[in-house]
Amino acid sequence: MSEVLLQKSAKLPGSPLSRFKRRTGLVLAVLALGLCIGLWLTPYQPAQANFLNRLAPPEPAHWFGTDHLGRDIGTRLLYGSFWSLGLALVVSLAGLIAGTLVGLLAARSGPFPDALLMRVTDSFFAFPELIAAVAFAGLFGPSTVNLVIALSLVSWMKFARLARSLGLTIGERDFVIQARLNGLTGGLILWRHILPNVLPSLLVLWTSSWSRTILAVSGLSFLGFGVQPPAAEWGAMLLDGKPYMQTAPHIMIFPGLAVLVSVLAINLAGDRLRDLLTQTR
Amino acid sequence: MPPNDPVFQLVGLTVRAGDKVLLQDVSCDIQQGRMLCVIGESGAGKSTLLKAVQGVMPATCRRLVFTPSGTDITGAVPTHSGLPQTRWVMQDPLAALNPQLTLGTSIQESLYRQNLTVQERKSAVLAALEDVELGSEFYSRFPGQVSLGQAQRACLARALIARPKLIFFDEPLSALDALVQKKIARQMEVLRRKTQTAYLVVTHDLGFAEAYADKVLVLRMGQVEAYQPCDEFFATPASPYAENLIEAARSLGTLSHANEAA
Repeated sequence: MSEVLLQKSAKLPGSPLSRFKRRTGLVLAVLALGLCIGLWLTPYQPAQANFLNRLAPPEPAHWFGTDHLGRDIGTRLLYGSFWSLGLALVVSLAGLIAGTLVGLLAARSGPFPDALLMRVTDSFFAFPELIAAVAFAGLFGPSTVNLVIALSLVSWMKFARLARSLGLTIGERDFVIQARLNGLTGGLILWRHILPNVLPSLLVLWTSSWSRTILAVSGLSFLGFGVQPPAAEWGAMLLDGKPYMQTAPHIMIFPGLAVLVSVLAINLAGDRLRDLLTQTR
Repeated sequence: MPPNDPVFQLVGLTVRAGDKVLLQDVSCDIQQGRMLCVIGESGAGKSTLLKAVQGVMPATCRRLVFTPSGTDITGAVPTHSGLPQTRWVMQDPLAALNPQLTLGTSIQESLYRQNLTVQERKSAVLAALEDVELGSEFYSRFPGQVSLGQAQRACLARALIARPKLIFFDEPLSALDALVQKKIARQMEVLRRKTQTAYLVVTHDLGFAEAYADKVLVLRMGQVEAYQPCDEFFATPASPYAENLIEAARSLGTLSHANEAA
């Protein structure tokens, strides 16, 4: 009898957060698998030039055509996803972690540190994302590392604000009072009660931050401030294709589509995850 | 300890929020294994009383004695710690349980101050779940997967598992529907008899007070209106307000008819 009941309970959906993790993990695994298969199937290297076959339109040997140096665009798109998606992932994760730390610290450490941390956050809000990155590139030279540092520096404030306000409200909920009366230390309450309840909303914000950062990375690379050639970043590929826009539009169309599709996909995933999290009760 | 000595004694509790007096000079006591019901309309300061005693809200008292833990306070009630060897069951079980933790983990937290092994904790939780008639499968369920009544039972288990000498209940039944109310009220009563735990129950359900309470404390706008043994209260209420209260409950039919002749 109890075995039957246990089986039944195993079929019930988990907590919102565990569901969130499972679905995100599944999608990412499928995407990573697709990428690996693509990299395994392609016979070309991303920087492998072939001047005899430059500016070729899509054809059986080159599904997405070749660019002005005869490099296979499909292969470059695959490798470029590491740059475009990966760099944006690193930047947005850095923002998520730093912002959550700052926000929860502000929410839990009394009025004075709270005010101080939030004023620092406000002052960082004063720098527009792209301008800050351009200024950073101007000061320290255009490079991938500088791009990541600059974008990370201006990406954490939203998370800090959200984490603080959620931390304040959740800190007053009944279950936190219960934990406190049961003698749990502040650190354990933060880790066990507050963080898991703050995280779902932060992760939804994080998906939108990731997609925005993809645009920022590609945009800055297109302007020449970010990832430098010959790296196959999607924005840099757009820049490569610009002189041939009239004669060989496919050089720009496919990287542009890659940016468009990935940003849309991540935004839609974020929407879906938000629905998933709000429908629990 | 002689059974008639109160385990919990409160003298002259006063709570202020700014200029407003939320509770003025409230005194009461509870003997071991007895139940005191605190009654009053919304805003009368019933929940404030619990919060003040547990140190969630700043308060002062002339004396607060809780014999099992040797607590004897005069003046400000210490905040942020709560009375040792007491537990608190809240009104909304779903707000009182972390939605991201399993019921088992939530219940275990009640044992945080005791040094037990993982195994001991788990078997204690399973025993506590059994006490409130929840099967072992509830150990790994999340609050979102159980009914309101089951969640409130888990809260009851969380309170009982630490073997406290006094449990505070803040309208433990008002979030539940009538059938579940009845069931859990009965369960509370059985467990009180079994464990000889004192109960302080905040409620506005006079029927519940009549059925189970040993003493009744009526609050109105932060002041004590009546403080009497249960039978005496329903027979000869100490104030016109209390009389009106009983009258209203009777006309709604929420009281039994045994006292109607009185």
